[in-house]
Amino acid sequence: MSQTTTVETKAWGGGRSPFNVSYGKMMMWFFLLSDAFTFGAFLISYGTKRFFSPAWPDANHVFHAFPFMGEANLPLVFVSLMTFILIMSSVTMVLAVHAGHYGDRRGVIKWMLWTIVGGICFLSCQAWEWTHLGHLTGGLWGTFTDPNTPAHAYEHFYNTHSAAYQSATHNDLLSATHNFYNFFFTITGFHGFHVLSGVAFLILILVNVVNGTYDQRGHYEMVEKVGLYWHFVDLVWVFVFTCFYLL
Amino acid sequence: MSHHHNTNDTTHLYEGDQSKLYSGVMSHHTDIKSPESKKQIGRIWKVFWILLLVTVVEVVLGMFFSHNMPKALVNFFFLALTIFKAGYIVAIFMHLGDEVKSFLITVLIPLTLFVWFVIAFLADGGFWLHMNHSVPTR
Repeated sequence: MSQTTTVETKAWGGGRSPFNVSYGKMMMWFFLLSDAFTFGAFLISYGTKRFFSPAWPDANHVFHAFPFMGEANLPLVFVSLMTFILIMSSVTMVLAVHAGHYGDRRGVIKWMLWTIVGGICFLSCQAWEWTHLGHLTGGLWGTFTDPNTPAHAYEHFYNTHSAAYQSATHNDLLSATHNFYNFFFTITGFHGFHVLSGVAFLILILVNVVNGTYDQRGHYEMVEKVGLYWHFVDLVWVFVFTCFYLL
Repeated sequence: MSHHHNTNDTTHLYEGDQSKLYSGVMSHHTDIKSPESKKQIGRIWKVFWILLLVTVVEVVLGMFFSHNMPKALVNFFFLALTIFKAGYIVAIFMHLGDEVKSFLITVLIPLTLFVWFVIAFLADGGFWLHMNHSVPTR
């Protein structure tokens, strides 16, 4: 009993971080925690609307196109490529952090450059996907609001053999399509904005690495912090991928 | 900070820096080609292959089996695999597994609020659907 008390007094008695992390890194974790709640709130409101709707667009029918493949039916292939790019960029990021731990400047530069390339590839893929869906829906947000929209404008987004589809009314299907696209563009847009700002942060930190700022400082903790942000963006994508494309 | 002018003292670059005290980065880790470093890199690539494999399994499940299997079972697999991937990213890539236990708990406990958050809101959505279909409108 008394031994435990002594240990606790030492850990929390001041003069050192009881968590054994620096202030900046701890605050990055807490920022990411708050960001997780923002994304969580978005995804849960998406789920609530989906549970509220008698029918919902089928991901296999919405996301089946691939650049330069015309009308080929390739469900989930393009988004799998995007997921692969993001996982790959997470690996190059953690390798940059690892090189930073060993003070290997050339390694940090190499892996950060690959991470930036991965981020830009992901953003380009997303730009293509948005453009493609925009053509399909006649816009991004706020489409499918006109009650006179004919059924053929949305029925190819649905699994028309399902009982849910067949029992749903025209208005049910119209508002479900409307909600699906609003949530899709809001959530992937918010995620894409995180990727974009992540790329910007990576470039800023890379400039510092090239200038030798962290060699002078004696450690590469900034690379570790931007790495935490980048991995978080990958983490969010894991959930966005599940919620929009799989479930 | 004029007193730092024309000296080799670089502390002015980052005053109030506590990172050196806590990261333990400074004290060891010098040779990127050391066995310890190579072991760590091996662990990173192992996690990459796990994440890739799980994603491939998810996509195959989504493409070919999602219409032939009970929906609840497919969704259970998707959610379980998602949590599995998230765990690897947080524990290995974000190094949360290497932090002290009290910090790990501090980060993870608030996230358990999501359990309540998800159940409450999805149940609410489901209840509204039920109401819309079972209560006659006037």
